[in-house]
Amino acid sequence: MAAVAATAATKGNGGGSGRAGAGEGGGTRKRKGPGPVATAYLVIYNVVMTAGWLVIAVGLVRAYLAKGSYHSLYYSIEKPLKFFQTGALLEILHCAIGIVPSSVVLTSFQVMSRVFLIWAVTHSVKEVQSEDSVLLFVIAWTITEIIRYSFYTFSLLNHLPYIIKWARYTLFIVLYPMGVTGELLTIYAALPFVRQAGLYSISLPNKYNFSFDYYTFLILVMISYIPLFPQLYFHMIHQRRKILSRTEEHKKFD
Amino acid sequence: MPVPHKIAKKHKKAVLFFEVEILDAKTREKLCFLDKVEPQATIAEIKNLFTKTRECRPYTSIPTPTWASLGTCREGLSAHWNPQWYPARQSLRLDPKGKSLKDEDVLQKLPVGTTATLFFRDLGAQISWVTVFLTEYAGPLFIYLLFYFRVPFIYGHKYDFTSSRHTVVHLACICHSSHYVKRLLETLFVHRFSHGTMPLRNIFKNCTYYWGFAAWMAYYINHPLYTPPTYGAQQVKLALTIFVICQLGNFSIHMALRDLRPAGSKTRKIPYPTKNPFTWLFLLVSCPNYTYEVGSWIGFAIMTQCVPVALFSLVGFTQMTIWAKGKHRSYLKEFRDYPPLRMPIIPFLL
Repeated sequence: MAAVAATAATKGNGGGSGRAGAGEGGGTRKRKGPGPVATAYLVIYNVVMTAGWLVIAVGLVRAYLAKGSYHSLYYSIEKPLKFFQTGALLEILHCAIGIVPSSVVLTSFQVMSRVFLIWAVTHSVKEVQSEDSVLLFVIAWTITEIIRYSFYTFSLLNHLPYIIKWARYTLFIVLYPMGVTGELLTIYAALPFVRQAGLYSISLPNKYNFSFDYYTFLILVMISYIPLFPQLYFHMIHQRRKILSRTEEHKKFD
Repeated sequence: MPVPHKIAKKHKKAVLFFEVEILDAKTREKLCFLDKVEPQATIAEIKNLFTKTRECRPYTSIPTPTWASLGTCREGLSAHWNPQWYPARQSLRLDPKGKSLKDEDVLQKLPVGTTATLFFRDLGAQISWVTVFLTEYAGPLFIYLLFYFRVPFIYGHKYDFTSSRHTVVHLACICHSSHYVKRLLETLFVHRFSHGTMPLRNIFKNCTYYWGFAAWMAYYINHPLYTPPTYGAQQVKLALTIFVICQLGNFSIHMALRDLRPAGSKTRKIPYPTKNPFTWLFLLVSCPNYTYEVGSWIGFAIMTQCVPVALFSLVGFTQMTIWAKGKHRSYLKEFRDYPPLRMPIIPFLL
């Protein structure tokens, strides 16, 4: 979910999914864009994020070439991954103050699910960091985010190359299931260690009269993928049809 | 002495009738045409007429009362598969994107010519407020008791139908239960609702919230491993006092608000303090009923020293603050002379 959720369910950092390049398809809604200061800030933000995820991509490739195997590559990109994924929390703020026309709730959900996987699962349960499933979702996220942030950058500058738009609305078809698989396998791998260590869990009796079982919570999280994944996936497919066909029509009139 | 009858005078007076056409707000499809509508007809009456026309077959006219007559119903394309649009689910408006007209609005007072065009939007299945309130409050009352009596399959088998040895647990049950009994009785006998209905899906949302939290709180308070409050009987006494005072306060406000509005009416007036000291909070807040409600739950949280109760109080406080701010804003908009000292929910602060 963290994989797709960030790809295109949001209209994202100032760009607007269908807006850039081809322009509004004759909608009656007048979208007031962010002011010039906000636009400058958002361009900088998106450029920095694109660069950050490129650093992670390059880091993965270099580590693979150095080690000669694709196992345990997580350690080589752990710091930039944590930094740039956590930085995405700013996107919630962008929606809240209105410089990005997305829903705060949706964006929060998307960013928090990513942050949850990075910190509350991968960071917290050291034993899963050497799992291959981690590489699976890291690669999916990396490719997705590089495309997504460059999409927003170009949209803000009103110069969106079709290839970027195409990539954003096509590659998810493979990247989303890949990311979801990686995420689920990672959470699953973490379970026995959570149970063993009683991680983040509190049991009765205690003076707060409260209990929380992180193990059960993780299982519920995994189950929640079942209703959420198809919804988000088909929403993306629907968006793809709408946006890529619209561009085709515009091309006809050029 | 015989009381003189008043014989209804039947006289034909020249009346300028209105025509009303109702279009779908989204498709602009002509749904109905009413001719010969009395100028003093209210929107509520027009909604009723609209419902009746939807029952008819194409191009037949319906026998009508003398004060208004129905035109021929032109069935739209959608007529045969749409559910019956009873008045509660009709939103009629002058502009497709505009605000809904109120039931009390009179046709001739609207900015329309003698042929009025109204736009219709389906509000979806509706359910009465009373039904929703009764359902959402009966649930917690019943559910809490299931946990209190330790009905099987909740706690371990050896605890089935046992009773807690802590006084505070029994006290908590009395407080929680009487709170919801109070709410049910108020719904039946005290509250005067502005709106008759709300969308059907609200009942699922609301019941999930109330019933879910009730089960969650009740689970811990009535748990065999429950830990009584750290400061013992002192803490419980203080908390109970807060709870009772706030419950009495909340009830006083409900009664004061009821007395503001005569039965069956929808009038709105500024509420003021009465002789009842609990209502003096009106001097400082617009919605003291919410203030007292938050106070009650804080009292209950202190009494039970239970995190889920604190969370429930917090969520409730957030929602009531949103409502109070909205109410405060509409008071300010409607009444020029609204007391300036008042805050929405917390004196001087919020």
